[in-house]
Amino acid sequence: MNRHLLNSPFIRILSILLLVLAGGILSAQIPHKPIGFVNDFAGVIDPDSAQLMEQISRSIQEKTGAQVAVVTVESIAPYPTIEEFSIELAQNWGIGRKGKDDGVLIVLAMKERKVRIEVGYGLEGAIPDSVTGRILDERVIPALKQQQWGKGLLQGLIGVGIRIAQEKGIDPKDLMIPSSQIAARPKRSKEGIDLGPLIFILIFFFIGGGRFFWPLLFLGGFRTRRGRFGGGFGSGGFGDSGFSGGGGGSFGGFGGGSFGGGGSSRGF
Amino acid sequence: MEQRKMNLLIGLAILVLVFVGYGIFSVSVKNDLVRLDEQVSAAWSEIDNQLKRRADLIPNLVATVKGYATHEEEVLTKIADARSRLSGARTVEEKAAGYNELQSALSRLLVVVENYPALKANENFTRLMDELAGTENRIAVARKRYNDGVREFNTRIRTFPGSLFAGGMGFSPRPYFEIDAASREAPKVKF
Repeated sequence: MNRHLLNSPFIRILSILLLVLAGGILSAQIPHKPIGFVNDFAGVIDPDSAQLMEQISRSIQEKTGAQVAVVTVESIAPYPTIEEFSIELAQNWGIGRKGKDDGVLIVLAMKERKVRIEVGYGLEGAIPDSVTGRILDERVIPALKQQQWGKGLLQGLIGVGIRIAQEKGIDPKDLMIPSSQIAARPKRSKEGIDLGPLIFILIFFFIGGGRFFWPLLFLGGFRTRRGRFGGGFGSGGFGDSGFSGGGGGSFGGFGGGSFGGGGSSRGF
Repeated sequence: MEQRKMNLLIGLAILVLVFVGYGIFSVSVKNDLVRLDEQVSAAWSEIDNQLKRRADLIPNLVATVKGYATHEEEVLTKIADARSRLSGARTVEEKAAGYNELQSALSRLLVVVENYPALKANENFTRLMDELAGTENRIAVARKRYNDGVREFNTRIRTFPGSLFAGGMGFSPRPYFEIDAASREAPKVKF
């Protein structure tokens, strides 16, 4: 009789429903929707820092296409570690552009007293783990130890922003980062000639494209071609994103970037 | 006579339909299996990359530790041994075993490190530990994605309709990347 009951379709459907429900509860722990670049779910960031962070993140997106999100939570439960929580959140929200994977998440967990910088695949070269570790040690942790949560996170964002600016060959000041915050480190000059378009044109030329190419060159078409393939300097990238919201009005959501677990964590 | 011809034609049409239907069905099932198989392979290569990356960090780490912890030859030798064994590993199972061995050697090192405050304060050591922890975390992420992929692939080739074609296509269940419970917690230095 008991066996019969267990095998009945009703019980099966019930158990499936329960499982689905349990799954729903579990995944409900990840804040489902970002409300902006700064998501202060724990309510610990002071208004000034929040506003400045939002501005910096927005200009990072406008100038470089990269997306940097800041999140605070009361607790990471039911996730056992901040690493697991952080990648789940970053991947779920899709911070950064799809395909470019140029997203960064800075996450602060109050109860666990942990902070982490999670770096998307596309920025692992620009911001290696040793650098996220140093940003946390030098900029974030000192402020967090004085319970200045907003300031600590702002410092983290500035550290990340400076690295992204260096990678893209732009001035950190253009990212709304106060110049007093920019350490006088030698800037890596990335403003050489972007060889990508040139190589493309050469290949185009060599594989028979010359037939079409020569007349174009003589007609002055060279310039238009280069305009189309070039534009490697920073500002060229953001037109294709579709989430820049037309000049920085409201937050337009993230782009579907992917993460592989790069970054560092610290306790404080 | 006409009737028989008609019947034959209808029969033939049904047969053709069945064949075409089966053809489409089998192609889509096979494509699906191939896609899953590729996914698993890609996930595996990500684990493999990160294992290599970690192996590359170790000589540097050992050299740094040696400068401070002069009486810890045993721990360092164990790490070097485990590393070379992992480098020699070929199959998923061998690599998982090598991973576990290296992991336990590393966590012993981290216990030892606690006795050398000067080492812990060393900038280079801190950076190396960050790189190591990052690699560790990437392995954990890649491992989860790989095992999820393997679970899906294995289920698919053992259940209908995948089971119909898996044998013919030379697909057999892929192994999971198993780690010891002890090494599940990535080693961490408290700063």
